[in-house]
Amino acid sequence: MSKIKFFIQQSWLLLVCSLFFGLLLAGANAVWTPRIEQNKIDKLNKLMSSLIPAAKNFQLAGTLTINSAKGKPIPTDLYKALAEDGDCIGYCFNTAGPGFTDKIELVLAVDKNFKKIAGFNVLSSNETPGFGDRIKQPYYRNQFAGAPAGPLDLEKTGDPKKIDSEIVAITGATISSEAVVDIVNNALPQLKKQMKQKGLIEDGN
Amino acid sequence: METNTQNPPSIYKQTLLAGLWRENPTFRLLLGMCPTLAVTAAVKPALTMGLAVVFVLLCSNIVVSMMRNLLKPHLRILMFTLTIATFVTIVDLFLKAYLPKMSETLGPYVPLIIVNCIIIGRAEACASKNPILISIIDALSMGAGFTISLCVLASIREILSTGAIWEINILPKTFVPWAAMRMPVGAFITLGLLLALVNVITAKSKSLQTQKNSK
Amino acid sequence: MDTLTTLLLTFISIVLINNLVFTKFLGICPYLGVSGRIDMAFGMGLAVTFVVTLAGTLTFLLDHLILIPMNLEVTRYVCYILVIAGAVQLVEMYLKKFFPALYDSFGIFLPLITTNCAILGLCLFINLWGIDNLLEAVVLSFGAGIGFTIAICIMAGIRENLDLADVPKPLKGAPITLITAGLLTLAFMGFAGMIR
Repeated sequence: MSKIKFFIQQSWLLLVCSLFFGLLLAGANAVWTPRIEQNKIDKLNKLMSSLIPAAKNFQLAGTLTINSAKGKPIPTDLYKALAEDGDCIGYCFNTAGPGFTDKIELVLAVDKNFKKIAGFNVLSSNETPGFGDRIKQPYYRNQFAGAPAGPLDLEKTGDPKKIDSEIVAITGATISSEAVVDIVNNALPQLKKQMKQKGLIEDGN
Repeated sequence: METNTQNPPSIYKQTLLAGLWRENPTFRLLLGMCPTLAVTAAVKPALTMGLAVVFVLLCSNIVVSMMRNLLKPHLRILMFTLTIATFVTIVDLFLKAYLPKMSETLGPYVPLIIVNCIIIGRAEACASKNPILISIIDALSMGAGFTISLCVLASIREILSTGAIWEINILPKTFVPWAAMRMPVGAFITLGLLLALVNVITAKSKSLQTQKNSK
Repeated sequence: MDTLTTLLLTFISIVLINNLVFTKFLGICPYLGVSGRIDMAFGMGLAVTFVVTLAGTLTFLLDHLILIPMNLEVTRYVCYILVIAGAVQLVEMYLKKFFPALYDSFGIFLPLITTNCAILGLCLFINLWGIDNLLEAVVLSFGAGIGFTIAICIMAGIRENLDLADVPKPLKGAPITLITAGLLTLAFMGFAGMIR
């Protein structure tokens, strides 16, 4: 009995404080979690709207699994872009792959027939500032808007304003440029196949 | 700053000014180096981190000062750590809810405030020995000193790496940005040079003081 | 065989490419304070490696077995730091009882390790990077410790030589150490892009 008394005498403050802090944390969590979740949804919506501006709404159409270039499965959320009248005008999904320094996460958008790429946005990347970081800038990103949804080739020289399956690399950032092209080339065929299987797009495309 | 042996107004003023220059946590005490180097790539994240540290310092100093007579010596550090961890979690949740972009930029450095030597150091050195008012002033002063030093470092790095401060362009467009300032290299070297500058200023003011005293 | 290659690449990536001290700014306080002599630096590095491997494994298990299933993720930071403090305490008591000579040589480093940002930082990074495999977490923790040891020993070697050089007065001490660290960071940047 005296052992328990000694224990309580030494640690009552610790127990009382733990209880108090626990309540404080639980309270803060309960109050702010809905806002945090909403922030995450807002961020994704904003990125997707900038790729398909005509869309009024984005609906989660399903969660697929794509294999990365090394065979590691990446869970991918597929979003349907809906216009004002409810028609599907495109699809958006997130994908990722290895970049120069770290992983690059992208949001890719394609048109409703999976024929053309609407563009991409970088969700997170850690590339070298001033070099690989320029994959976020219009010079590189605009080359993807309207490009065919087939295999893309990275070229070192060429006309970046011409929209076709050739992507001109950023000077001094060949590996980062190539990384983005590889991510797109890896994700598109797998997604196309899985979407056909689910009947989301017609066969013969 | 341990015990109140002088008349009240003077000790408060002394505590307030200490954190700002004489015992500035970054430049004189060399505490809390990790966030100093990590978040000072631009002024916005630096200011956010500084204010977060002020909040945690304030809350933890108040709580520790309230408990100071009840603490058992060998459970002391555990109590400090528990308090600090709770308040840091609250700050992290707040940032995620109201400033999501900043929260993403700061990333894992917000929870690293828990092991920031400044906060545990002040809890040990000041809050556990002094009444609430002095602890509050000490927290505000150390926090302000830390925030100011972060912002100074961040302004230098941001101006040289992007030509802008707080994303407002200041330098002319012909300025070629020094990308190295955004990378770890720039952080270490700028901080090293700033510390050297502080040493120069301290040495000069000391020599002026001895000259004055010998007259 | 494939797993072995992945683990080896993970290990190399955290020791050289994503070195905690040079790219993530973790563990700077002891890095500046203890890198005066090579033997002290090596001792500190070993102590950190030991603790970080233990802490990384324990926090990973805690996270996946208790926090996530029971939806207690809001207490993550509190739990992590308590586990780390507890692990350091346990290591100290164990060493004191069974390896007293080793304990004496560590000196005051062991208690100081609790506030080493590298340990908590690594546990948080394991969480942030979404590592879901215990073996990978153990390899990452061990690699982080080895990376820290390499960084601090290189710095100690350079500082021992700097003591004999003619450093200008304002730069003596912390400033020249920081500038050296910056140049080391630049050197380690050469490893970036090594693994695709």
